[in-house]
Amino acid sequence: MRRWQLALAGSGFVLSLLVPLVVHSDYQLQVLFRIYLFAALGLAWNLVGGYAGQLSLGHAAYFGAGAYGLALFTRAGMPLWAALVMLVGLAMLFALLIGGVSFRLRGPYFALATIAFAEVLHAAAKNLPRVTGGDVGVPVPALFHTHANRSFYLCAVLLTAATTAATFLISRSRFGYYLMAIREDQETALSVGVNAARTKLHALLVSAAFTALGGALYGSLFLFIVPDQVLSIDISNEIAIVAMLGGAGTLAGPMVGAAVLESASEIFKTIFQEAHLLIYGLLLIVVVLFLPEGIMGGVEAIVRRRK
Amino acid sequence: MNLLEIEHVTKRFGGLLATNDVTFSIREGEIGFIVGPNGAGKTTLFNLISGVFHPDSGTIRFQGRDISRIRPNQAAELGIGRTFQVVKPLRNLTVLENVMLGAFLRTRSGTKAAEESRGVLRYLQMEKIADSPASGLPLPMLKRLEIARALATRPRLILLDEVMSGLSTAEALALAETLKKLPEWGISAVGGVEHVMQVVMSIADRVVVLDHGTVIAEGTAKEVVHEPRVIEAYLGSKYKELGL
Repeated sequence: MRRWQLALAGSGFVLSLLVPLVVHSDYQLQVLFRIYLFAALGLAWNLVGGYAGQLSLGHAAYFGAGAYGLALFTRAGMPLWAALVMLVGLAMLFALLIGGVSFRLRGPYFALATIAFAEVLHAAAKNLPRVTGGDVGVPVPALFHTHANRSFYLCAVLLTAATTAATFLISRSRFGYYLMAIREDQETALSVGVNAARTKLHALLVSAAFTALGGALYGSLFLFIVPDQVLSIDISNEIAIVAMLGGAGTLAGPMVGAAVLESASEIFKTIFQEAHLLIYGLLLIVVVLFLPEGIMGGVEAIVRRRK
Repeated sequence: MNLLEIEHVTKRFGGLLATNDVTFSIREGEIGFIVGPNGAGKTTLFNLISGVFHPDSGTIRFQGRDISRIRPNQAAELGIGRTFQVVKPLRNLTVLENVMLGAFLRTRSGTKAAEESRGVLRYLQMEKIADSPASGLPLPMLKRLEIARALATRPRLILLDEVMSGLSTAEALALAETLKKLPEWGISAVGGVEHVMQVVMSIADRVVVLDHGTVIAEGTAKEVVHEPRVIEAYLGSKYKELGL
């Protein structure tokens, strides 16, 4: 990272923290919360889906583990900090199980396996009313009682900053090199001694931990969660699409993707109501056809051609 | 002392006998070449030695240790480096960063890996392009990049699959000159080639000729080319005319 990029990231972070001084509307803060939340989720997904090139379409499993974890561990009487530790642990346990099995598969089979695991958890949450409240749902404790929208927004900014910093450090380390090597060609990676299975699993563990924190934040904002909201395939897709739209495997990609996708869907929702899904679909088709490497991938290609 | 021992190794893919009862060995500090036409079983043999495939029968020993059942990443850890027939550099990374991927096997530190990699690039006369992007390099440089990445893992033995293919004779000879120095670094090599016998003759301590998965001749380059079966089965009468 060059100095100007570091300066840009730093000033972006400071400016993001100052936003609540200017923006007071609860609605606008909630939209901004959503943008930063999905930026963080996209960044977390990017470690596995972007850098390591393993298309996970089941990140709802970790997101749901975070949201349900916060609800269930606090209901069991745990203090908040312990519940946060436990929900991260729960998501990492899921990652261990899902990764341990799915990483033996490649390409579309891997993607299908991740969907299947998330759907199993989705069905389990629906059908275990005594534990999860079933379809009726379960209350989630409020993380903040005063200035809730402002506080949630700031938390989402912090989570984005943390995932960005983690991604940056990883991308410059041996671990990051190994992930990219696995994405480009697993045989070559193995030939230089990379334990591909273990490396992918480590990436998934980090990814799951951040995703769970995002899920907890999301659940707590709504105060009440049902399986269809936090464990559905829609969440998995949205996380993956944010990263792919912005540019998988790039540092800025998921942030750009979250800003574009979340603001577009918010605008279209007010104009077209349910038809916003149609626009959403069109947006995806345009990106897949004209920007296969996402917005940042396209920008990079243009910069490279100019040189 | 033998560094690599292949003993009666057989590998089948369905009805195809890819390697059939192959036996040969490579001593420490030796440069060996496996010669054979496309489909003779060279790549299969390299994949068996580097743990990509496991033999159906027979044993592969490296430094006296049975490695018939190891995984490819364990082979690299033990000191077996390899290149691939189809070159696959990491796009968007520089030449140096590609080589660092190999150097990371022996160090966690990026600084040390870069230092080590620059040394390897110097050896392969690539230091001038260290910071250029790997995409867009001409084929001879890509072939060298493959070798550099494998050497950066500090192997005792390096397997060079079709390392000369696509190179002109002059380029192949230049590469051979470089490879000749490997034993000075304590590195043995096994190359695989289809033809370019001129190159093989100039650097090979030992030549193994494969045909349809079977070893049809083994010995020094001189011995092998005078073997009637080799001339007949593979090199043909045209080679005789060259007077070697």
